[in-house]
Amino acid sequence: MTAILQADELVKSFGPFNAVDGASLQVEERSIHALIGPNGAGKTTLFYLLAGYIKPTAGRVRFNGVDITGLSPNAVARRGMVCAFQITHVFPRMTVAENVTCAVLARHRAQHRFWAPISAAIRREADELLHSVGLTALAGQRAGTLSHGDQRVLEVALALATSPSMLLLDEPTAGMSPVETERTVALVRRLAQERALTVLLVEHDVNVVFSISDRVTVLHQGRVLREGPPAEIRKDPAVIEVYLGEAA
Amino acid sequence: MILRRLLPGLALALLAFLGAGLLGPGELVVLNNVVVLALFAVATNLLLGTTGLVSFGQACFYGVGGYTVAIAWYQHWAGFWVSACLAPFIGGFVAFLVGMLVLRSRRWFFALLTMAFSQLFFTIAQKAYDITQGDSGIFGAMVPDWMADPRGGSLFIVAVATISILLLWLIDRSPLGLTLRAIRDNQRRVAGLGVNTYAVQLLAFTLSGAFCAIAGVLTVVNQQAAYPGMLDWVQSGDPVLVSVIGGMYSFLGPVVGALIYQLGHDVIVRITTRWQLALGLVLLAVVLLFPDGLAGLFRAEAWQALANRVLRRRPA
Repeated sequence: MTAILQADELVKSFGPFNAVDGASLQVEERSIHALIGPNGAGKTTLFYLLAGYIKPTAGRVRFNGVDITGLSPNAVARRGMVCAFQITHVFPRMTVAENVTCAVLARHRAQHRFWAPISAAIRREADELLHSVGLTALAGQRAGTLSHGDQRVLEVALALATSPSMLLLDEPTAGMSPVETERTVALVRRLAQERALTVLLVEHDVNVVFSISDRVTVLHQGRVLREGPPAEIRKDPAVIEVYLGEAA
Repeated sequence: MILRRLLPGLALALLAFLGAGLLGPGELVVLNNVVVLALFAVATNLLLGTTGLVSFGQACFYGVGGYTVAIAWYQHWAGFWVSACLAPFIGGFVAFLVGMLVLRSRRWFFALLTMAFSQLFFTIAQKAYDITQGDSGIFGAMVPDWMADPRGGSLFIVAVATISILLLWLIDRSPLGLTLRAIRDNQRRVAGLGVNTYAVQLLAFTLSGAFCAIAGVLTVVNQQAAYPGMLDWVQSGDPVLVSVIGGMYSFLGPVVGALIYQLGHDVIVRITTRWQLALGLVLLAVVLLFPDGLAGLFRAEAWQALANRVLRRRPA
């Protein structure tokens, strides 16, 4: 197995405070990798560092063997690593179908075409994508009027439309009902399988983490506390102390 | 399907053509003003409603279009057809250069910078007396004779404006149009999809500038003059106000707005000198009651939203 994403000694300081303080991470190709840790451990900051939304104070990020440190999110996305966000970032005034069409256009590098209508091939690709995430019935609705759970699914569809090799998910089940959570976990697992994706997810729900992931990295105070398969992490005394606590 | 979407626009265009063919000379001027303002506003709305960029500098490109024809005639550089065909390219090129700078800033800074460029061009037109005749502007027989005739001119203006608005409609429905609306809704997310949003916005800014320049050319046909006031930021405000009144989120909103604005102006100035007061009241009413503009009056959901607001109900 080879690492598709590799972060070395990443540091991000906000003034005197190091939100991420020398974190290193390796994500195996075609694995589902979870990032967990207590509040303030630096999970979200690390996530934004990897995706290029913020630039690290020190350290390197390599994707597919290429150094992508400091590249902008759109450059990172073009190399095949895209994000789906915790706060839903869909296009609220546009319909579900238009949302996905926009993302498909971006993949075909056709977003600047003003001299021709949107081609049938692109519309078809958008339809297929909506079908594969199960949103076909809602295609004509404005995205802003969807339920929270459906918006998160649309968010994943937007990320997939760019045909990535790696998907970063920021708390994919946050704020979902148990039924929606179960549906989302099944969806992520199926999509990863069908599309040969590598998935890195930040997640709070430990049940989700242990049921979905192949590997788990535990972050504490900006550093990596442990990394390993879920079964080991679940029993690790240090992890139980800082994060899982009595509940696990 | 596509014909049904085109129907309201085609009906308006047909009315304008009928007007240009049948109205008397006095009314033709009003018609011309409405049609030119409509094109100017639709072109501006490509930035305002479609992309979410509030530009107070579109008069720059409108004025550049007008001055292209006027200066080419006055300096004996080129005839009307050559300069009129060049105008959108020059307007687009100037917009490209201005856009490269102003699109680096956001929101208020963007609005202020566009305004500043408008004033810069206004000042240049005033001071470069040898080329532009300064404050007095360029007057004269700069358009072909048949166009100087009120009916010929009106038919030309309506025809060019109709074609231009149709082209803008096609742009609105193109991949670019969809991407622009996505940028309006959530720019960061579009960047996350691998799109260079700056380049896409610059393209929109350039296209908008080119069509504003066409509106400028039509103004010269209408008035047979180009003067510094065309470049003033106050002139830039008109298409923005018109779009807000008519509805910036529907394609024909600015056209409806132009009709109401110009006709309202012409009626009200006959009754009172306080036209600005009336305009202010109309704007207040629109912003408070129909934030999606008066074009929304044709849709049931706008009335529903108004009822919800008045009765303080939560939307269903």
